[in-house]
Amino acid sequence: MKNRVRELREKHAWSQAELGERLDVSRQTINAIETGKYDPSLPLAFKIARLFGSRIETIFLDGGK
Amino acid sequence: MAHSLERRYRWQVLVLMAIYMAIMIWLWPHALGASGKALKVALALSPVVPVAWVIALMAKRVMRSDELEQRLHLMALSTATALVGTACLVGGFLAAAKVWATDGSILIWVFPALCCTYGVTRMSLKYRYTGSLDWFC
Repeated sequence: MKNRVRELREKHAWSQAELGERLDVSRQTINAIETGKYDPSLPLAFKIARLFGSRIETIFLDGGK
Repeated sequence: MAHSLERRYRWQVLVLMAIYMAIMIWLWPHALGASGKALKVALALSPVVPVAWVIALMAKRVMRSDELEQRLHLMALSTATALVGTACLVGGFLAAAKVWATDGSILIWVFPALCCTYGVTRMSLKYRYTGSLDWFC
């Protein structure tokens, strides 16, 4: 699943480690989400959306098949 | 999992494994010549104590991990269980059919084999998901 996490993180000038700290996950997990190798759980996706003040569907983009 | 907690975990496992080795070298051999049955059983099972402690630490580590780390732990653990379990099944059938002569002491190697397979699988999964071989996640 594509997402805008990297774009939003860079907009806030946060490092992956800083974002990880705010979300209570590791830097590696942030990296895996940003590169699309790992899709976060629904609770984590909501946490990310809350942190960036956006709606979940504007951050995580359903490719659709 | 935070680096400080990870470091603490590694030290605890290292100390417990050193205790395990000390027991295997100095204490466990006395089980063969022990007189009372209770003493024999206690000496024979003494290495289980540090190993059980390590298992408890591993469980605690998984519980403290974030969701991706937990996923990697559990995927590695299930892969290791499937591989080692299958190897044990094959070995068991061969031994039962008297194709392969072995005794029960080979079961001692099940847990180390599980740990090794788990470690290698976890590293490869971690590389796949994060592109890093760093043990810290």
